[in-house]
Amino acid sequence: MEPLARRTLLRSGLLVAATAVAGPALLTGCGSGEESPARSDGKPRRGGTLRAAFTGAGAGETLNHFVGGTALDMVRARALHATLGDLDPSAPDGVRYGVLETIEVNGELSAYTLRLRRGLTFSDGSALTARDVLWSLRSPAEDPASLPVYKNPAATFDFAGARVENDHTLVLPTLAPVADGRLLLCQGNYLVVKENSDFSPEVATSGPFRLEEFVPGEGCALVRNEEFTHPELSDAPYLDGLELRSLPDSEARAAALTGGQVDFAHDLSPVTARTLGEDERFTLTSTSPPYVSGLFFRMNLAHEPFRDNRVRTAFKLAADREAMVESVFFGDATVGNDLLSPGFPDYADEIEQRPFDPDRARRLLREAGAEGMRVTLTTGPETPGMVEVATLYVENLVAVGVDATLEELPAGQLFADYPAYTRLPLAASFSVPTPALPLYQMSYGGQNPAALGWDRPDVDELVATARGTSGEESARAGLAAQRALWEEGNTIAPVFKPFTTAHVPGISGVAEDLFEQFPGFSRATLS
Amino acid sequence: MTWGPFLLRRVVAFVPSLAALSVLVFGATELLPGDAVSAVAGPSATEAERAAVRERLGLDRDPVTRYLEWAGGALRGDLGTGYTGGRSVTELIADRLPNSLLLAGLALAVALPASVALGLLAGARAGRRADRAVSTGVLLVAGLPEFVLAALLLWLLAARTGLLPQVSLVPLGGTPLDAPEILVLPVLTLAVSGVAVGTRLVRSASAEVAASPWVEAARLRGITGPRLAARHVLPGALAPAAQALGLMTGALVGGAVVVETVFGYPGIGLELQQAVAHRDIPLVQGIALVLCAVTLATVLLADVAARALDPRRGSPR
Amino acid sequence: MRRPSPDPRGSGGPGVLTWCCAAVCLLVLSVALLGPLLASGSPTEQVGPPLAAPGAGHPLGTDVLGRDVAARVLHGGWVVLVLAVGATTLATLLGAGGGLWLGLAAEHGGEWVMRAVDVLAVFPPLLLMLLLATGAPDSDAAVLVAVGLAATPFSLRVVRAATRRVAATGYVVTARARGDGWPAVVRHDVLPNVAGTVLADAGIRFVAAVHLTATAGFLGLGRGAPSANWGRMIRENLPGAPLNPLPVLVPAALLAAFAVAVNLLADRLAEHLADPDITRSGA
Repeated sequence: MEPLARRTLLRSGLLVAATAVAGPALLTGCGSGEESPARSDGKPRRGGTLRAAFTGAGAGETLNHFVGGTALDMVRARALHATLGDLDPSAPDGVRYGVLETIEVNGELSAYTLRLRRGLTFSDGSALTARDVLWSLRSPAEDPASLPVYKNPAATFDFAGARVENDHTLVLPTLAPVADGRLLLCQGNYLVVKENSDFSPEVATSGPFRLEEFVPGEGCALVRNEEFTHPELSDAPYLDGLELRSLPDSEARAAALTGGQVDFAHDLSPVTARTLGEDERFTLTSTSPPYVSGLFFRMNLAHEPFRDNRVRTAFKLAADREAMVESVFFGDATVGNDLLSPGFPDYADEIEQRPFDPDRARRLLREAGAEGMRVTLTTGPETPGMVEVATLYVENLVAVGVDATLEELPAGQLFADYPAYTRLPLAASFSVPTPALPLYQMSYGGQNPAALGWDRPDVDELVATARGTSGEESARAGLAAQRALWEEGNTIAPVFKPFTTAHVPGISGVAEDLFEQFPGFSRATLS
Repeated sequence: MTWGPFLLRRVVAFVPSLAALSVLVFGATELLPGDAVSAVAGPSATEAERAAVRERLGLDRDPVTRYLEWAGGALRGDLGTGYTGGRSVTELIADRLPNSLLLAGLALAVALPASVALGLLAGARAGRRADRAVSTGVLLVAGLPEFVLAALLLWLLAARTGLLPQVSLVPLGGTPLDAPEILVLPVLTLAVSGVAVGTRLVRSASAEVAASPWVEAARLRGITGPRLAARHVLPGALAPAAQALGLMTGALVGGAVVVETVFGYPGIGLELQQAVAHRDIPLVQGIALVLCAVTLATVLLADVAARALDPRRGSPR
Repeated sequence: MRRPSPDPRGSGGPGVLTWCCAAVCLLVLSVALLGPLLASGSPTEQVGPPLAAPGAGHPLGTDVLGRDVAARVLHGGWVVLVLAVGATTLATLLGAGGGLWLGLAAEHGGEWVMRAVDVLAVFPPLLLMLLLATGAPDSDAAVLVAVGLAATPFSLRVVRAATRRVAATGYVVTARARGDGWPAVVRHDVLPNVAGTVLADAGIRFVAAVHLTATAGFLGLGRGAPSANWGRMIRENLPGAPLNPLPVLVPAALLAAFAVAVNLLADRLAEHLADPDITRSGA
């Protein structure tokens, strides 16, 4: 299979439904070296300034992406700072390296050796060394203000025991044997910041672009960093400049695009995307698995009826997933199978797709004596489509005889009172693209409060085995863990939605930057 | 009363008023459910992490102590740091407030003369055709909720015709004045609803003056038309109108939240809405306090203006 | 301060416009109040593809989730009106009660209370609503209380001023001298004379309340999905307006027509009621 064809699914409109594409092909891809933007017309054009709009924070925005969790924070950070590496299911290691040449792991899976490419420099010409890499991974883990995702490496690696062997070599011991440490470090969001940076606008950076102007809450202007050396492409980045604008509302981003104020609008709501799809002046692009975000409903096991697995199964069978994909996303989303992270190499796509079977759901509820049970599903507009999918799901539940009601909280409130959230009988949540087994450990296993009562040491053990071993043994344990989750889990994962962007024609090379949910522009061209 | 004591009394009254409002703002934000800890610590934080965050933010202490600390800081011009991003709230408000003041100032600059002209036109001939047309028109517009008006103007002047940008994107590193076209729609929306409020106020004040024996006497002397309106009705009507327009400025503050949200204009109203959504309590408190101070100050200015414009120069009340 | 002014149309009876407004009000009121009874389908059930054009079974087309727009319009007015009426009632009761008390008992610290009320009036209503509605998410009651409280200081001022005018006429002094108790004085001497002012003021507050409740729906405060609410419908369907404008236009037109009509009527009512008030208070 041609991996590029899958990743650069350029769509105008809704003709292509993103049903589960990838599957086993992900593991067999070829190398990523041949990628270059604008392959069709030969040599990529150099020059131009691209203006793009993203969801951003208000005037409280800073340049410190460790504490800022918006799309704009991530995109700006990836433009300013070089990545350790990105997930690339088609590459031999499952990752494509950025500043790294390679990551080696010892036989006991107890230490990872990160080797940097030679001659890397920051924008001020100073050398980029292994110390900068260590600081970039370690400092956010020690700052209580940083986002949970930046604390994750500290749960796997023992930074206190880390050794900088020389300017190009960093050895990271693990806390327990881990086989997928490469996937963990090269997720695309671990970037190299200069050691002891205070994130002020003057600090030198390592990425494809450097900062020229920063206006908190409104955006920033970047120009090409001439010191940056691209891993594969000698003359990239091609763009002279990049203007990233903050617009929190999907409609506003689309309006800025149609009004000619920006060239590229990120993360459009399904309806906005549909409206823009009818406009020939713009090209719509939707990410495909694994770069999709899961919309979940979690059944609280503290809530009596959900202790009965028949009730849980009935709730899974009641969801009309196809209708959700059609009505909420106009066909542009992936049907979920009550498992995490489709499209990632560790996802168990051997497990059969759960059908929509309201009759069996009704029967199971009757058998469990849970006919007419009352339940309230709580949701909020935390990501486009979340409230809409919940609204349809409640109608599905009513149709199988559950006395279900919907409670929608205002934006930002769903997870705000966390103890209250963990007591909800049926709660909505969503995921960002993360490999299945690490995601399980981060948000599901080990009696995590986010799992609403899921407490299965045996499954936790299977996941730990899958991550701590390799080959056949790892695959078997991973499958068994996900099978248990599918059969007895308390999560309904009906839909995985893509990140939809729209842009003017002539922009190419964005998808080649990988980490597609937050587009990068180091290979982008404007014509 | 002479000017000195009058001004002194007004300015002195400003301080306890603002203090009372600051208690109100602080108390109201304490109502937010849960606490800010979850917003800061993130959904998957452990109990220990949450406790650490609670301590770092000082939320483990009692509200009275926290209020006193906050108010003390506010007196020194320090409103604390926002939860998201950790920027100084004072600095952040200083970034955004000028944009909103510009918007409100331009809206007033359009609305004020228009209100006075229309109000005088209607009030000086209360009950006649011109009055009926103006009064009805104004009532029609005043009946429209601001968000409907904004959506309507947006559709007419931007989405449909492409004459103006739909989104108020300020050029990076510049001010809104560098791209005046982005100001048109927000100012227009605010001004139209401002005119609707202002005209009614000026009209009732001038109608009352127009019916007074003083103006009746002028009319008997043969003074009519615009001269009567400008020389005899206007001076009497300006003082009550100025006081009322002070209230109108207060309404502009509320309107700014809606208008800035609809057009994505980077002002303090949009910031407030986002701060509430992100539960950034220091930011909500800071913005609310500043908004209250601005409104109090305009009411004060309006009082002073009303007194200065009052031809009788009597007692201010 | 707001002063009454002569009727712009002279002393004639209600004009054509007034009748038109009354008709519009009645129409919108009947849609809002009888709508839930008239609607044949469910406002939350999916009946077709999203944002479909009008067709059989859904005369106004479908909304962003494929629900029947007509059913949602018929179900969605009730809450806006009930909230606005509730908030107005709250503001009027608090304002009239406080205003009467302050107007009659001005000597005993009344000035200080008025100062406090003046300060409260400065608090921007939308700010109060944002704070309270966020404090009690997914609750229409919070919107009602916020809108009501925001209007109270203004009501209170108007009623107090009217009460003081009445108190100054001597009725009250005479009645007190006769030995009537305060409740009797209020019922027989004060209330009849300020009732017009209270009513006219309630009309003005009601317009503001309709605005604020609709804005609350638009900003996503108050009861959330899947409840139908005209303000909310506008917000939900605005992005889809190019595909099917009806789910935005119909509730927006109903809201706007109602607000405009009530505004005109309240103005006429205020003028109508204000005239006798002026003569009686001898201004």
